[in-house]
Amino acid sequence: MRAYKLGLNWMFLAVLALLAIPSLALAQQEPNSQQGSAQPATQPAPAQQAATPAPAAMPARDVHQESHLGKLTGHSESGRKLYFRFCWGCHGFRGDGNGENAPYLNILPRNFVAATFKCRSTPTGTLPTDEDLYNSLGRGLNNSNMPSWISLTDQQRADMVAFIKTFSPRWQTEKSGDPINVPAEPALTLQSIKHGQELFQKLECWKCHGQEGRGDGPSASTLTDSNDQPIRPYNFAAGSRFKCGVSNRDLYKIFLTGVDGTPMPSFGDVVKPEEAWDLVHYLRTLQVRQKSPELTLWMSTPEGAAIVSAQRISGTPTGSGINQ
Amino acid sequence: MTLSVPVRRGFSSITSSIAFAALLAALMVADSPSAGAIPAFARKYGMPCSACHEAWPKLNNFGQTFKDNGYQLGNDRDAPIFQQPAYWPIALRITPHWHRESTSATDITNPATTDPVTGLPATTEGQLTTHGFDLTGMDMLTAGTLAKNISFLLVPSADETGAFHFESASVRFDNLLHTPWLNVKVGKFELDNIVSEKRILTLSGQGGFYQGYHFQPVTEDTSLFTFGIGDNQLGAELSGHSRNDYTRYSVALLSSNDGNVDLPNGHGYDTFLTFSQAFQAGSLGLQRVGAFAYVGRAPTYHTLVAGDSALGDGFGQKSFTRAGFFGLWYYKKLDFTTMYIHGSDSAFLGTNTPSYMDLPLGARKPTWNVGTIETHYTWNPQLILINRYELVRMSQQALPGLPGNLGDVDVLTFGYRYYPFISSRAGFAFHNEYSILRQRGVSPINGVDVTSSSLFLGFDFIF
Amino acid sequence: MRHKQVISVAFLLTGVAAMSFAGPSKPAGGSVSGKVTYEGTPAKQKPIDMSKEPSCAKQYTTPPTTETVVTGPGNSLADVVVYISAGAPDEPPPSQAVTFDQKGCRYIPHVLAFQTNQELKVVNDDQTSHNIHPLAKVNHEWNKSQPPGTPPLSEKFAQAEFIPVKCNVHPWMHGNFAVLKNSHYAVSKEDGSFTLPNLPAGKYTVTAWQESYGTQTQDVTISGSESKSVNFVFKAKPY
Repeated sequence: MRAYKLGLNWMFLAVLALLAIPSLALAQQEPNSQQGSAQPATQPAPAQQAATPAPAAMPARDVHQESHLGKLTGHSESGRKLYFRFCWGCHGFRGDGNGENAPYLNILPRNFVAATFKCRSTPTGTLPTDEDLYNSLGRGLNNSNMPSWISLTDQQRADMVAFIKTFSPRWQTEKSGDPINVPAEPALTLQSIKHGQELFQKLECWKCHGQEGRGDGPSASTLTDSNDQPIRPYNFAAGSRFKCGVSNRDLYKIFLTGVDGTPMPSFGDVVKPEEAWDLVHYLRTLQVRQKSPELTLWMSTPEGAAIVSAQRISGTPTGSGINQ
Repeated sequence: MTLSVPVRRGFSSITSSIAFAALLAALMVADSPSAGAIPAFARKYGMPCSACHEAWPKLNNFGQTFKDNGYQLGNDRDAPIFQQPAYWPIALRITPHWHRESTSATDITNPATTDPVTGLPATTEGQLTTHGFDLTGMDMLTAGTLAKNISFLLVPSADETGAFHFESASVRFDNLLHTPWLNVKVGKFELDNIVSEKRILTLSGQGGFYQGYHFQPVTEDTSLFTFGIGDNQLGAELSGHSRNDYTRYSVALLSSNDGNVDLPNGHGYDTFLTFSQAFQAGSLGLQRVGAFAYVGRAPTYHTLVAGDSALGDGFGQKSFTRAGFFGLWYYKKLDFTTMYIHGSDSAFLGTNTPSYMDLPLGARKPTWNVGTIETHYTWNPQLILINRYELVRMSQQALPGLPGNLGDVDVLTFGYRYYPFISSRAGFAFHNEYSILRQRGVSPINGVDVTSSSLFLGFDFIF
Repeated sequence: MRHKQVISVAFLLTGVAAMSFAGPSKPAGGSVSGKVTYEGTPAKQKPIDMSKEPSCAKQYTTPPTTETVVTGPGNSLADVVVYISAGAPDEPPPSQAVTFDQKGCRYIPHVLAFQTNQELKVVNDDQTSHNIHPLAKVNHEWNKSQPPGTPPLSEKFAQAEFIPVKCNVHPWMHGNFAVLKNSHYAVSKEDGSFTLPNLPAGKYTVTAWQESYGTQTQDVTISGSESKSVNFVFKAKPY
């Protein structure tokens, strides 16, 4: 009987050891232990460059970045922990947009090493401001897999912004671009909408977005983003949210700064500020399924009403906005 | 301290001895934690478990927002049309483990002895310890969107023997009138408990549930009246939340059946209300406080048809209430869940008296208070240490002659979960836990305190 | 090293910088010249259908072809960038700008070589909007619209890189920027010939880059003012 009891105790201990020890040993691993040390940010000779894309720099533990958003200061050290909780599944351990889920996404996750960002208030080719990144995190990117992180705290989003800035050496050597000047929005007039319509023709927005803004222009089917993935121009008629904010001001910024990494160019050099507002007003009327003062005014004219009702009838099938 | 009685394995009365634990245990029987993690979502969106879970299965605020949004991220890509046709929103969870259960005083009938009075085998009080490899029931979680703003959760659950029941089955309509403040859910579902028992981080027999969600005074016959806030209930719920989920409310109208199908208690409706508010505390992160109240009714007798209770036959409904408040507090890698619950049952329920009979002399409402403090140390998303202390104190016994502390509970549970890998495809955890519980004056023969403990070593996986 | 820098700065001060794409001027040292050819069968260049852009299509009697491999008589390869990839010091940019023209919905030249931080002017000579989208990886990727009649865009690239350029509106438009660190480079002509003049004595690595075939390198040592001949032969692939 005694021996039997002893046996049981041994069995108990063995089970305990079996279960507990390996797990404790493994517990030493942090999820970010898969990272190596930082690679020096060398400038590859053009010859090497042509053959292989930029080597994915890894975020070095000793690179510190901060983000400044009003009273908030984000710290990359805190952001690192959040990144390895929330972000790496898509953006990858190295921030190169090559996470385990990346192969299954039809708009590839942002590559933070390349530091090319869609939603900016700064000119094309420049780094976005902290606020731009912070707003993108809070907003999410519609019609992509990037959700809104509004349910985290402001401080956490600020920390994440700071950490994202450790992936590319550009953030150490360059400043963010100067945000473009967005003048106050002039009063909405019919004239403004009509002028916007002329600009839509003149700037050939319709080449991609289509005459009715349905994302079906002659070049639409050929478009690829900078990852060589097919991408569709925004379909105004489908009425989903813009990727980079929903306000008129956001819309103004979108075409004056461009959506970097996509075929959408910047019109910053070619459109005057007051003209840009006219274009904003006209673009709103293309969103025929979304109430707006612009649409209401436009529909009060026989011309506008005819166009809008025709567009509504032709409609768009569900899911037409997939790759916007 | 405890009387040790040799126990033979295969003893026929083991089951009846364990039934003694029904005081607490009616609760856990059906309670494998259920609506837990759903890798079906992780697979759908490609996010790691840690994005939605503080530590699987406990949600963080991002995961809570996703759930409250009707399992939608809100990027116009949630509807099934955006998924591969082969996508199948299903996940299976099971927990193979080794465990040891020990209770200090239970009634044990030994066939080798004879009671001099009855001439039958003698029943004595003694310690009972069992251990071995075991399995929990299996949960099949299927959940997702049927269309934009229409979602469902279906959890067919098998117990260890393979017998099925529906742990949960509900449909949700979200963002009615285009506002996140109006969402409706109908079916069998977990009450809107932020401190969720279905997402509890402990699994052992004594520690795998919240006392406050299930406690009933020892004077009550749980075969006649059982209720747990932690149980999935049948009903309809109206809920709402701010975009970031900091502010949340829900109101539910429920059938008075404690979630059991086929209307066993006849007619009668319960109400559950809850509200919580989160606030930002700088670098400490998100803190949350909230309150809830449950006002329920339960029958005091059933009609008897051929000596058996028939369907829909509960009568003499009497009321009971549970009300409490809670807080989720974060401090760096530490977080604390604090909860206080006050319980009160009708004197009829408290003394198992049918409403057509007179109450025993001096009978009154049993009332009690429950305090819970749970501490987590999240070393990183892969390792979480868990500690919980709960105490239940009777403030008024149903019958005046009873000792004031009869049925009081203290339970301490601690353990850890370690996730050797984190991916968007499956969840896996080493789970080791120990729990010890003491309840005052409830031993079956001598009425002494009973101490029970559970040791749980196992693997928890979901895929 | 320092010695070489002094020499190259001296070049610039004496106004020789213009040689960077103007070809040989006053010989101030040795030179490397040669010919780029291919063996095998290069991919057949396809005619471009510009019917979606009538204002461009009407400029051609026969449709122009793609230019991923540009060949000449005697298996010669044009549009190959030949440059000193090692041995020569980095040089500051010349003050003169290079011009990248959009004409008839094509890029002229198809391959444009220039130095880091040298001014690049992008001109639209068409009656249609183009967007200039250099798909830079080392430099900053940008993307600008240029409707007809707008003044030239002025840009610079800070890092050495071969950058494919495209116009998203006209998907057939495809060109290349070769941003190089020094002034010793040439783009092979239609007969495959190139000359890198004004090379001081020293040991150099000469690299040839073709957009479809990648790079080839050869080491060369120049003593005094000798002229060395270096030829490159690319293996052409039909696909």
